[in-house]
Amino acid sequence: MNRIGKSLPCAAIALAAIVPLIGASPARAQQPPAKTSAPSTNTTAVSDPLLRAMREELDRSKAQLKMESVPSPYYIEYRLSDVDEYQADAVFGALRRSDRSHARSVRVTVRVGDYKQDSYYGPGVGVVNLAPIDDNPTALRWQLWSASDQAYKAASAALAAKKAALLQFTADQPFDDFARAAAVQSVGPLAKLDFDPKQWEETLEKSTALYHNDPKIESLGALVRFRAVNQYFVNSEGTVTRRGYTVYLLTLGASTQAADGMQLDRSPYYAAATAKELPTVDEVMTDTTTMIATLQKLREAPVVNEDYRGPVLFSPDAANDIFYGMIGRNVLGIRPKPGESARTAGEFSSNYKGRVLPSFLSVDDDPTLLTFGGKTLLGSYATDDEGVQAEKVSLIEGGELVNYLLGREPIRDFPESNGHGRAGPGQLTSPNIGNLLVKSKQTLTSDALKQKLLDLCKQQGLEYGYFVDTLGGTDYSPRLLYRVYSKDGHQELVRGAEFNELDTRALRNDVVAVGDDPQVGNRDGSVPMTVISPSILFDDLEVKRTDEKNAKLPEYPAPDVAVAR
Amino acid sequence: MPRPFAQLAVVSLAICCGIPLPALSSPPRTDVLMETMQREIQRATASLAKSDPAPYFLSYTANDAEGITIAGANGSIVVSSAFHRRGADVVMRVGAATLDNTHNQSRPSGIVSGALPLQDNMDAIARVLWQLTNQEYDQASAAFLRVKTNQAVQSEEEDKSPDFSQEAPQKRVEESTLKMSFDQNAWANEIRRLSAGFMKHRDVYESIVYLQAGSNRSYLASSEGTALEQPSSMSRLMIEGQTRADDGMELLRVETFQASSPDQLPSEAELSAKVQKISADLTALRAAPAAEPYVGPAMLSGRSAAVFFHEVLGHRLEGHRQRDEREGQTFTKKINQQVLPAFLTVVDDPTLKELNGVKLAGTYDFDDEGVPAARVPAVENGILKNFLTSRMPIKGFSQSNGHGRKQAGLMPTGRQGNLIVTSTNTVKDAELRQRFIEEIKKQDKPYGLYFEDIQGGFTLTTRAQPQAFQVIPVMVWRVYADGRPDELVRGVDIVGTPLASLNNIMLTGDTLQVFNGICGAESGQVPVSAAAPAMLFSEIEVQKRGKGTQRPPLLPPPGFENQTASNASTLHAKP
Repeated sequence: MNRIGKSLPCAAIALAAIVPLIGASPARAQQPPAKTSAPSTNTTAVSDPLLRAMREELDRSKAQLKMESVPSPYYIEYRLSDVDEYQADAVFGALRRSDRSHARSVRVTVRVGDYKQDSYYGPGVGVVNLAPIDDNPTALRWQLWSASDQAYKAASAALAAKKAALLQFTADQPFDDFARAAAVQSVGPLAKLDFDPKQWEETLEKSTALYHNDPKIESLGALVRFRAVNQYFVNSEGTVTRRGYTVYLLTLGASTQAADGMQLDRSPYYAAATAKELPTVDEVMTDTTTMIATLQKLREAPVVNEDYRGPVLFSPDAANDIFYGMIGRNVLGIRPKPGESARTAGEFSSNYKGRVLPSFLSVDDDPTLLTFGGKTLLGSYATDDEGVQAEKVSLIEGGELVNYLLGREPIRDFPESNGHGRAGPGQLTSPNIGNLLVKSKQTLTSDALKQKLLDLCKQQGLEYGYFVDTLGGTDYSPRLLYRVYSKDGHQELVRGAEFNELDTRALRNDVVAVGDDPQVGNRDGSVPMTVISPSILFDDLEVKRTDEKNAKLPEYPAPDVAVAR
Repeated sequence: MPRPFAQLAVVSLAICCGIPLPALSSPPRTDVLMETMQREIQRATASLAKSDPAPYFLSYTANDAEGITIAGANGSIVVSSAFHRRGADVVMRVGAATLDNTHNQSRPSGIVSGALPLQDNMDAIARVLWQLTNQEYDQASAAFLRVKTNQAVQSEEEDKSPDFSQEAPQKRVEESTLKMSFDQNAWANEIRRLSAGFMKHRDVYESIVYLQAGSNRSYLASSEGTALEQPSSMSRLMIEGQTRADDGMELLRVETFQASSPDQLPSEAELSAKVQKISADLTALRAAPAAEPYVGPAMLSGRSAAVFFHEVLGHRLEGHRQRDEREGQTFTKKINQQVLPAFLTVVDDPTLKELNGVKLAGTYDFDDEGVPAARVPAVENGILKNFLTSRMPIKGFSQSNGHGRKQAGLMPTGRQGNLIVTSTNTVKDAELRQRFIEEIKKQDKPYGLYFEDIQGGFTLTTRAQPQAFQVIPVMVWRVYADGRPDELVRGVDIVGTPLASLNNIMLTGDTLQVFNGICGAESGQVPVSAAAPAMLFSEIEVQKRGKGTQRPPLLPPPGFENQTASNASTLHAKP
């Protein structure tokens, strides 16, 4: 099909501008004391021109949107996201981009029906529109007006479709579609980016020029993405919130190939709430040098060829990935599809009041915690993205699952939000973690933990155990994996291994000890979050050779580096 | 993740290779980027000569593009961004020109793309090119194996042309640069004012004023010795308004303006008048009756006829379609046969820079394969003479005529540049309307249709689908035989099959009108022009356009709350 057209339709432009917001993942909640007051309808207190314009258009929509034979909306919310973003990346000592963007979007959700059963379904989950980046109340109201109209019409269609779909199922839904929540007024300070672009450009170029150190490095790159996000929220229940946060992200990446072609990658990742909490130039240089050196060692490291079953020790960094993936993602109170009887869409849907971890472990999620061990936590916030007050939630007590993280979409036996309805700019809200904290009744020092690893090996008659320093990717495959020999405790780096059956069952049954070394893992996902976890020791885990095929070596050698540059 | 608006801008700039400056004769200088590209091509070619299969062709294209995007709506800025990127395309062919990895459906295996360092850092540029070349070699050599296997098992092809034509290498370095001088604040303010113009009209529900301005320096080096460095610049301002009729039909008006730099765009007064015109058109369209299916005489304005020819004829003249066995090949075997009325001649001429005072969007000196642009007389006095070819040979046409075009990241195909339709059977434009009315009477129809403006269109050229085309007219009038005033109608689509419709042209006007636009096809988006005189058709078929069912907004826009205006109240009463 061929097209000639002189236009970029509005939709295309809107999409183009909104996608970056949607993809943007926030990070740290700078949640200094927000002015929070009891439920009130006093909106004159709101001096922010954007919040005021949102309030005015929302009141008009709530009062007047009405079609024959469709009820008026019972609930409307507007969420405006302002994203100021800087991105730069460099490869092989040279910058490929360095630029800043500023964009705003609004997401309008209109619900018809009632709390028991409403239109939040299919097309009824809201409409996203561009918003002016000038503080121009009239232009903003114009965009809100258009989105509200579309959202109301979509909601009416969605409610009809939902009722039709639910006819297929006989079971009555024993919980509401939408939880009631107290009105909150909380206008926090605006977040702003604070950094020196020149300095970061230099850091990226200087560190990625270190490929000179090793001719076998095939790629070496570094990128930063800094974001200030300000979320403005109003709803028809009287909630008015404004909340800002900044995320400073730095990632390094390098790859090489072993003589047999095996692809070897490293990608250190740093996420912080302030630029000051990122590594300094010197630290970035050191870390890059170390990364290149470990890749060189990996190239020469032996391949794991024999199957292993026995104790494996995970560093705090590696354990962080495990707790995020196996606990953090499964404690979310995400409602399953209509008609499914499970409590949640996650793996812990039938584990309520059941054991999911060893009895000496407990897990909280506490967005109100601002720092830990001197580090600012990215997952902190005062109100969530549905305008609900953040709460500390005790999730796992003595190994037993006692609660889920909830937004305003109830699940069976959990009728109310506990302040974990979270959303990236322009995105749908969904329950998510804030600051997930793994705690233990009994801990070992890292020396004692290593000794325990060796003791277990000896008991099981094993020549060596494994120590995982770093995991890579989402499938928990090890990037840096060491054999620790039981006779003298010396470590040997190996490559080409993966775990077999490293899953929630293993985490529940096979963790025998944890360290006294909890580490903050700030994460820059769709929303900023933090996992704080110590090192953990499994007594029984399988390690085997990876199934992945080796790649071809480069067909011809890399260019020589011009000397004395 | 990448920021799509910046990407959007890169894409549109990278493809705008038009508006080249005259070459300046100054001593050759060495550009680090060009020098590195050439050195790496040599090194790759020498090293890979020992590989099996070995490449026989390698080219690097780099586009150093920078620019800005500003968009405004309702008196405020909604998008404002600037970018600077260097993109690289690595094209490799392994095997031999007679059969290589790009054969048939395997064409995408000829290219990989990536981002280059912004500064002239030779080592870093060389490294990235090396990475991309290795990646491309893996892809091309694997594809070549598949191509050879397919050749062995499939039936013989009808067109046994080689996969790549022989062309003389080209060298030209244009020293001049086209740095944009651009006052971003002044433009932002102008866009605020322009976009605020729509807010006087409650019926214009959505609107946007969009400016993209940028400059590009393109570099092309190949293993054959081609070395081209060309600057270009392009600014495009687009004004768009949207409304919805009471029956749910979406109505859209768009105007675009193109110039080599923002200061050459029309004045604010002119643009502001355009905002008011679009608003007035939309208000009139909302109120206009929906069109009924119709077969009968029609008159197309020059701009409408230009789009019609681009879709109906132009795309079917693209060289690669004559070879691809999935294509309908309407014209493949019609060389030296009559395909149009004898009074019509069609050329595609990328070397033409301006027509009747309008700058042409499809102008370039060299195509994206480094072949000099050439004027191609495609149809002479109604007789088909030639196709628009890239370096993909077709039966009877073994050379490129400089029409290999593409967007960054894609393989080129034969594409249109400036398609120009001229006629020897003309009357004054004013008389054409008279002849139109006579034809309506002669056919005993109550009215004929006049197509004043066409938004764009699409055409299907493959065998799997009907050989149909569709253009999307926006301003269409019923012209009555009995002398009643013309009546605007909405929701008209022209339909039909190419050969039949082209032979219904009876007579044309005497002034060429230009349509500048962006054309999308297999090789991506490229800027094109089409020009034609107004045309009288003895018969054209129209159908009702499919429409949405969503009714207009329930509430008046902000600022109109207290007006008890026309439709807000009536709307509430409608189901």
